[in-house]
Amino acid sequence: MGRRLTILAAVLAALAVVPALTAGLKFYPDDPIRREPESRDASKAVPLNIALFYEYAINLFVTERHKPSNTRAQNVNTIDEVPDSGWLTNRIGTTNLSGEQIARGPNVNRGPAPESWVILREKTAGTSPGFTARDANGQTWFVQFDAPEYPGASTADVEIATKIFWALGYNQVETFITTFDPAKVTIDPKATVRRLSGVRTAYTREDMNIVLERAARSADGTYRASAGRLLEGKVIGNFRYSGVRSDDPNDLVPHEHRRELRALRVFGAWLNLVDLKAGNTLDALVEQNGRSVVRHYLQDVGSSLGMANDYGVWDMGWEYFYDGPATKRRFLSFGFALSPWQTVPYKEYPSVGRFEGSEFDPTTWKPQTPTTAYLELRGDDAFWAARKVMAFSDDLIRAAVHVGQFTDAAAENHVATVLMQRRDKIGRAYLPAVNPIVNPSLDAGGRLTFDNAAVSAGFANAPSVYRATWSRFDNATGDTARIGENDSATTTMTAPANLPGAPGSFIEVDISAESASNPSWRKAVRTFFRRTADGWKLVGLERLPQKIDPTDAGTEARP
Amino acid sequence: MKGRLAAILLTAVLLPAATAAAQEAAAVEEQEPQTREGLIEQQQADKDATLTPAKPDKAEAYVTRISDIFLAGQMRWHAFFHSAYSGGGFTMGAGYTEFLSPNNTLDTRGSITFSGYKRIESEFIAPNLFGRRGMLSAIGGWREATQVGFYGIGLGTNVNDRANYSFQQPYGSATLTVRPNRDLFFVRGGLEITQWRQNPGSGDFPSVETKYTPSTLPGLGAHPAYAHTTAAAGIDSRPAVGYARRGTLLSATWQDYSDPDHAFGFEQLNYEVIQHIPLVREAWVISLHGLLQNAYEKDGQQIPFFMLPAIGGGDDLRAYASWRLRDRTSLLLQAEWRVIVNRFLDMAVFYDTGRVAHGMNDLKLSDLKYDGGIGFRFHGPLATPLRIELAKGPEGFSMVWAASHAF
Repeated sequence: MGRRLTILAAVLAALAVVPALTAGLKFYPDDPIRREPESRDASKAVPLNIALFYEYAINLFVTERHKPSNTRAQNVNTIDEVPDSGWLTNRIGTTNLSGEQIARGPNVNRGPAPESWVILREKTAGTSPGFTARDANGQTWFVQFDAPEYPGASTADVEIATKIFWALGYNQVETFITTFDPAKVTIDPKATVRRLSGVRTAYTREDMNIVLERAARSADGTYRASAGRLLEGKVIGNFRYSGVRSDDPNDLVPHEHRRELRALRVFGAWLNLVDLKAGNTLDALVEQNGRSVVRHYLQDVGSSLGMANDYGVWDMGWEYFYDGPATKRRFLSFGFALSPWQTVPYKEYPSVGRFEGSEFDPTTWKPQTPTTAYLELRGDDAFWAARKVMAFSDDLIRAAVHVGQFTDAAAENHVATVLMQRRDKIGRAYLPAVNPIVNPSLDAGGRLTFDNAAVSAGFANAPSVYRATWSRFDNATGDTARIGENDSATTTMTAPANLPGAPGSFIEVDISAESASNPSWRKAVRTFFRRTADGWKLVGLERLPQKIDPTDAGTEARP
Repeated sequence: MKGRLAAILLTAVLLPAATAAAQEAAAVEEQEPQTREGLIEQQQADKDATLTPAKPDKAEAYVTRISDIFLAGQMRWHAFFHSAYSGGGFTMGAGYTEFLSPNNTLDTRGSITFSGYKRIESEFIAPNLFGRRGMLSAIGGWREATQVGFYGIGLGTNVNDRANYSFQQPYGSATLTVRPNRDLFFVRGGLEITQWRQNPGSGDFPSVETKYTPSTLPGLGAHPAYAHTTAAAGIDSRPAVGYARRGTLLSATWQDYSDPDHAFGFEQLNYEVIQHIPLVREAWVISLHGLLQNAYEKDGQQIPFFMLPAIGGGDDLRAYASWRLRDRTSLLLQAEWRVIVNRFLDMAVFYDTGRVAHGMNDLKLSDLKYDGGIGFRFHGPLATPLRIELAKGPEGFSMVWAASHAF
């Protein structure tokens, strides 16, 4: 017997020197990463513009039937956060933004010099009046105006939405409110406009007048305008809300599985960004670390806050451009089955669109057309987005709205108030919908602390008890070995005494909560800690499983 | 002792093997990423080796081409569903638009129906005259209607008394519409040179000359030529003529038909009112339409029967046959309750009523003919390409297929 043991020991000793392969590791040493690498040169990417009518048709009649995969977003890091990338830079909720920073937003350069303008070309996208023009400093701008019926509204909305989406982390174009005086305009001799016949002829002052007739004119004869700076880099068209760019080596994650694109369902609902189409995005090649990489922009977020292209349409934010169930309902009832948009009360201000918060429901909000990313949103994505929205304090919202330069203080206050109402409805809908444990921390002494985002925001009562299940975790195999379990009425717990002490060892702590009003909290948030020399580092957090059953927690908040 | 020896031997054998395995694993490890960033970078490198240019798929490229054709002025050919004359039945036709300048067009088009109604014409349109205050339309063409219904003159005619006539008409006209302030108010003037050649009718009903004579029916068999002058003024706040859910039209039109032979000259006054009243955010619209036509002959002249104001057909008294009621004066009143089903489809219930009279003095709001029905309209923001309606009146059912709005 002793001889056999000796032999076995020798064999095991010999085999023990074989290092564990890193393939299959759940956590790498650099987890959680804070930035998505962009390691390859993308200069071969070519312009690709997405056809408007094709996109509308596909989104309305094909994408609309897309069945969500119910899988976790693929670009989140191991603690369920979105690392910085060419798509998103974490700002609010990650860093403390001041009102001044939000008011400045993406603007790093001076605004336009409106002492003189040179019109360079017609505006070819969108229906709002405008054109491309060069200011007195020689800078090129995309200039667009307010509709006569809503003086100040569109320009304000572009400003406000740009600043808010910048704070949310999206790449935004520098925009400014400026003035445009037709008396100080010249037309570039090379400027052309496409006529009805399809031919291009010289842009004339009459062409400018046609544009300005559709714009709100100030009493002094000038026009208030929104000026968007020409993007740096080489513009290569739009990005899609599904799939990847086949010519961008750094674009690995299908866009419908990028959390920040799924989350536009929440952010879009907040601001009522109804024109959520690929045509309102831009990809641009920029230089970074000596190579070309693609920056992805939400280029036009102006169809927000109740303003959109066609003022005769009331259903924006409530129905798709074509909405099958609503069509059927109205058809069969001969219009007597009223839709919410037919009765919702709006406060009327000339400088504000149709924007309200009392009837708003983030879970039923709809853009003009759905996108695949929009339909892929699941509970953990919405939770992430809702935390970003909730990070906007009342003061920050007021700071963002103030950049709209409303001439009517009541209108400005109305927009800010509605944004706060809608913010709170988003928080109330999405924070309690999944287990809202956040910020777990385990100190060297075994003291576990965490927060409950829904309770902290005042959208749920504290649960009767929190429960933690402690396990050793094998990073190579994924196996767990139970250590113990304990309860607490508070968000502080003490670890069992027999936690592993060797640096590099892992534990898994599954934290659930007992709340009669929020049964989804019984589904534990899985957290993972790695032992370091001076304590425990959070390396993993899984709010929902990789794939969830459609009827499972976290999907009930999805319409 | 033996056991120890075996252990030593085993260790001696296994250790080198294990060491080799460890070295091999280490080599593999050098290839396998050791970090998350390394893993992603390797995936990016793998993709870099298989890049393909981003391009639209075939369906998208096709749709893009089609939309470019329609939206960028590249589409020259178009469908044309306007019949030569009301009552011709299902109409097929096509047109070709040529741009004579960046904005001015010449459209040549033709249509035909199964009952032999034919139309061919060319229209020149200059839409941006006088600083975009004026629009000029000049048309030259020819049309033929083979079996136009005629039921007699007056309100008391019987639907079973139908007779048919035909006509051929060459025409040339120019119409100038001016909006002095590019706003609601408009004035319009026009001149048409034309000739109506009334001939025997074809079809299932007796020809008109078998039931009437020139003495019992003014203008029977006549071929009057006209210098037709028009002057109109009004206000129009509808967003678009072809489709509107709000707005008002008020217009008055004077027409003079001068016959150089002084036999069939007359004048006509038309008054038209349209009011769209949106309810619950334009989801419902009450649309009202009134049209009064009054023709009066010049001294010693007659109004040919085929030029008398008439009502009946798919645009007015929809359950009645086309041209069902004729006389010097006609009154049409229509009301519709329109419902938005979605942005492309409206439903409507409608009620039409009207009558004809021998003059304004005889016009009363009694003995009105009437019908009602339900309709479906496929529309865009500016036009109604397809209107399908089912109407019911005392004279029966009628199904309307039209390529235009009701009013």
